[in-house]
Amino acid sequence: MGSKSEWEPRIVGFLCKWCSYAGADLAGSGRKKYPANVRILKVPCSGRVDPLLILKGLRLGFDGVMVSGCHPGDCHYQTGNYRARRRIALTKKFMEYIGIPEERFKASWVSASEGAKFAQVVAAVVKDIEEVGPNRLFAEDGQ
Amino acid sequence: MDSSMEQELRKEARKLLEEGKVDHILGFARGSLKFTATPFITKEKEEVASLVINPFIVNNLAKFLIELPGRVGIVAKGCDSRSVVSLIQDNQVIREDVVIIGVPCSGLIDIAKVEKLVNKDRDEIDDIALQGEKVAVIIGGQKTELPTKEVLFEHCLGCESPTPQEYDILVGKPTNAVGDKELSRREIKKLEDMVPEQRWAFWKEQLSRCIRCYACRQVCPACFCERCFVEESQPQWISPVSQWQDNLMFQVIRNIHVAGRCTDCGECERVCPQNIPLRSLSKKMSELVDEMFHYQAGIDKNAPALMTAYEPVEAEDLIM
Repeated sequence: MGSKSEWEPRIVGFLCKWCSYAGADLAGSGRKKYPANVRILKVPCSGRVDPLLILKGLRLGFDGVMVSGCHPGDCHYQTGNYRARRRIALTKKFMEYIGIPEERFKASWVSASEGAKFAQVVAAVVKDIEEVGPNRLFAEDGQ
Repeated sequence: MDSSMEQELRKEARKLLEEGKVDHILGFARGSLKFTATPFITKEKEEVASLVINPFIVNNLAKFLIELPGRVGIVAKGCDSRSVVSLIQDNQVIREDVVIIGVPCSGLIDIAKVEKLVNKDRDEIDDIALQGEKVAVIIGGQKTELPTKEVLFEHCLGCESPTPQEYDILVGKPTNAVGDKELSRREIKKLEDMVPEQRWAFWKEQLSRCIRCYACRQVCPACFCERCFVEESQPQWISPVSQWQDNLMFQVIRNIHVAGRCTDCGECERVCPQNIPLRSLSKKMSELVDEMFHYQAGIDKNAPALMTAYEPVEAEDLIM
C-alpha cells in the first residue's frame, strides 16, 4: 500500500431509489461538489440492504460501506426503512464488537430533495474513512 | 431434579400418549456414556420409562419440533421453552400442536469442567449430585464437594427463567437456579475491555480454527432457514472453504440472522468441536437486542418477532 496521499478511499453506497438515489442526482444537477469516492448501487429500498451486503463490501476490500434511505415515515413501502433501521443498528453495534471500526459503516437518511445533505454526508463519510485509513481487515495479515 | 420428578414426568407422558393427545413424546433418555443424556423420541407408551431428568440433559430439544410431524409432547427446560416460544413467534411451530411438559431446571452440569476440577476421567467418577450451591462428586466412595458455579455451563449462570414460563404441564416445583450474571458474561467483559484491533485479532485467531462443520448452525433452534446463505452459489456470498475471513463473515451474519431469536441456550458453543467461544457472539447479540429494543427472545408468544416490528423512534443516534 502506497503512502496516504496516493491512496483514495473506495466506498460502496447502497442508495434507495425513491429518495437518496434521487438526492444524489439532485446533488449532481445542483452542481454540489463532493468527493468522488462513492460507487453508488441503486436498491429498491433501504430495507433491501441485507447485512450480508455490508459485510461483503468490506470483505471485497472496500474501505467503507454506506447505506442511505428515506427519512422515517417517508418510506415508499410504508415500513421498509423502519425495518432497515433495526437491522442497521444491530449490524453496526455488532460489527463494532467484532472489532470493525464504526467509521467503516455509515447509514443516513437523505430525501430526494436533499441534494446538499447528500453531498455533506458523502464528504463526512470520506473524511472519517481517510482518518482510519485503508481497509486491511480481511487481508491475510488482517488488522 | 430428582427421581420423583422423573416418575411424575413418565406418568404424564404415558397419559398424553394413552389419551391420544400427542403422537410423539420428545424428551431425554440416558446417554451411552456416563453422565450424558440423549434426545429421545417415542410413540410407544411402554417406552416412557426411558425418560430421564438430571443435570445432564443438555440438548435443546426445540430444534426437533421443526421437523417432527404431528402433535408432540416436548420435555422442556427453561431455555427449551423459550426456544419453543420463539419458534411459535416465527410461525415454525403451531402452539396447539405442542404440549409443553415444563421441567424446572437447576442448571446443567458441564461434565468436562467436573473432570478437569477433580482431575479424573468420567468413567472413574461414581456419582455426581447437584445440591444447591454445591455439587457432590463421589469417587471410589470418597465425596468431594465442588462449587456449583464452577461446574455449571456459563449460560446457565445467566439464565433468567430456569422454570419454563410457557407450559401445559409443569413437572415438579419451580426452581431458582444458582446464578451469577457477572460470571456468565465474563468472556464478553474481557472483549469489551479491549480496543477494536485486539477484538478483531481475537476473533481472527478463534475463527481461523473453525472447520466449517456447521454444527453450530445445525443444532441452533433459531437457525431454521431451508436454504442457508452459506450454501448459495449465485452469488456465492462466502467461500465454502474454511478460511478465517469467510468463517468470520459466516459467524457475524449468522448471529445477525438469529438476533431476537437466540435464547442463550448455549448449544452452539457446546457442540463446537474446535471450542470456539461462540456464545461470546450470541450472548452479546442478545444483550444488544435488549439494550436497543428492549426485547428478550422467547418470552411472549404473541409478540411480533424482533425483525418484523419497529417503534416510530429508535436507534436514531446511529444514523446520520
